[in-house]
Amino acid sequence: MAQVPQRRIPTINDLKVKLCYICREEERYDAPEVPPRAWTHPCNCTLIAHEACLLQWIQSSQQNRSRAANALKCPQCGTAYVLDSKNPLLLRLMNAGNKALSTMGKFVTMFGLTFVVFSLGTGMYLISTAYGAYALREFVGKEMFDILLTDDPSNWPWHSFINLPLIPLALTVSRLPMDIGISPIVPVLLAWPTSSPVNSRDPGVLDLWKHSTSLSKRGSHPALPNWPPPPLLLGLFIYPVVRSGYRALRTRFSRWILNSQAEQGNGPIQRVVFALNDDGPFRIRIGANLEDPAAERQPRADGQEPGGAEDAAANQGDVDALPDEAAVAAENTIRVSGTSLGRLIGGALIIPRISSLMGSFLLRMSKHSYILRRLLAVRPPLPFGMVPPALPPWYDEKTWRAMSSAKRLGVVGVMGLNVMWKGTYAWAECDPVWWRNSLGLGLFTVAKDCLHLLHLWLTKRELESRRVKNRSFEGVDIRELDLINPASAL
Amino acid sequence: MASISSRRLRKELNEINAEGCPCGIKLLNADNFEVWYFSIEVLGESLYQGEVFKLMFRFDSNYPISSPAVQFVIGPDAQAPIHPHVYSNGHICASILGNEWSPVLSVSAVCVTLQSMLASCKTKERPVDNDRYVRHAPENPKKTRFHYDGESV
Repeated sequence: MAQVPQRRIPTINDLKVKLCYICREEERYDAPEVPPRAWTHPCNCTLIAHEACLLQWIQSSQQNRSRAANALKCPQCGTAYVLDSKNPLLLRLMNAGNKALSTMGKFVTMFGLTFVVFSLGTGMYLISTAYGAYALREFVGKEMFDILLTDDPSNWPWHSFINLPLIPLALTVSRLPMDIGISPIVPVLLAWPTSSPVNSRDPGVLDLWKHSTSLSKRGSHPALPNWPPPPLLLGLFIYPVVRSGYRALRTRFSRWILNSQAEQGNGPIQRVVFALNDDGPFRIRIGANLEDPAAERQPRADGQEPGGAEDAAANQGDVDALPDEAAVAAENTIRVSGTSLGRLIGGALIIPRISSLMGSFLLRMSKHSYILRRLLAVRPPLPFGMVPPALPPWYDEKTWRAMSSAKRLGVVGVMGLNVMWKGTYAWAECDPVWWRNSLGLGLFTVAKDCLHLLHLWLTKRELESRRVKNRSFEGVDIRELDLINPASAL
Repeated sequence: MASISSRRLRKELNEINAEGCPCGIKLLNADNFEVWYFSIEVLGESLYQGEVFKLMFRFDSNYPISSPAVQFVIGPDAQAPIHPHVYSNGHICASILGNEWSPVLSVSAVCVTLQSMLASCKTKERPVDNDRYVRHAPENPKKTRFHYDGESV
């Protein structure tokens, strides 16, 4: 090609042999194809191709998202191919618009997903908060609820929006088999006594209170100085101590009840092992002291069924006869799924209602007992429309101004400690519904555990007393039997 | 008139027959223009010394615009090499078989690339997601959207 007289740069038409890098077909300069096919040299290296082949390649790769990046460049030298096409402004605008729309579509997708997640979360939050308000109302009583929270959420203190939705969660967690040691009552007792009363929007009520006489003169039963126990003391110390003490006692008591029975049993099941799970249900493992392994399996299989059936029927009994550790693990799994889950949550969410019912029961009983009345520290309801302030009534602006700054600091410190310890004045002045409800819940727990223990004991006794009824050969063809003394039979 | 793919494949076949395969690669079977089989081994020092593998090429009618489906054959007489880019079902994660494919490549070029992929292997191990991939892998490796990481081969 260099022999060409004019020194010009050669083009594709100067090649002796053209080889398409795509279809690998050749065309010699002295044997042109008929009909002719257009050739192109799109880059800076020696690769050439049929224009049709190259366009097909470009088009097909552009339609594939992952290959589109390589569509418009030479595979060998990487030079970008330049396409010359009818690409008016309108088409470019439309392409740009299409691209923009799909980008916006992605945003819409993301936004929509966020919205769905957010609204689900909000829904859960709202339901939990509403339930928390209900639970608090059941627990502290209507009077105190109207002072601390009221039915109107716009009055609620800020911490109620954290505290309230956590109540159903805490209730449910407290019912889980593992012993976390968190009682749902404790956070309620820690947060609410120190909460200042919701300001009544009617200033007249507050004024009314300010001019009224000291509230402590009201009421027929003067409250004991430290009774009911300060909520902080109750939540942080008394409750956990009572709880663990009760548990230890319960464990020992039930072991005593169930084990002493086991030694007397002399049915086919010789040995009954009770695995006592601290908080969770009891598991009874039954083994038979029999020589024959086949016979050993029999009573176990028998024992499993009534246990399971009664478990479903009774409220608390998770009584199962379990042959081995694997079954224990399986049973653990089953307990947290299906109906057990509903039972767990339902049982947890009904606690405030139960505690309120038990509290009213105690209140009714207290009408007949002076000691119980003192114990519960029952107070008559506050006069209608009265909202006690957070701070004691002896505090007013005049005495405050008369104090030195050191004394002011001391007074504020004492008042703060007082509020921390005993709760606000409002909390202390109200009828302590929360106190009798706590006691009621404790009574209920004891009663429930007794019932559960009775159920266990009855189940165990049923298993131990089990005998298979022995029948005569009535109805069997006697000739089929190999008898010792055939003559004695009919 | 034969399709573009078969005309191009005939040319590649003629080339292989005339000039022979690259070292270590043998054409086992090319009876039609849909499936070809090769044997491949790594010559010289490598982790695969003495091992011979079997490669299967499947072509559709759009070859060479569309890439061939290439995989190692698993059978009584053949196993897939243990390699970080080769799954135990024979599928190969190599970018030139996917988004880096170009019609300038050819069957023997792919063979040579895979041969050097094996030759440069440092540790004999399966891809980390092998079990998960093999459980759900499509029959045709071209239907997999591989995520190519590390060096492109």
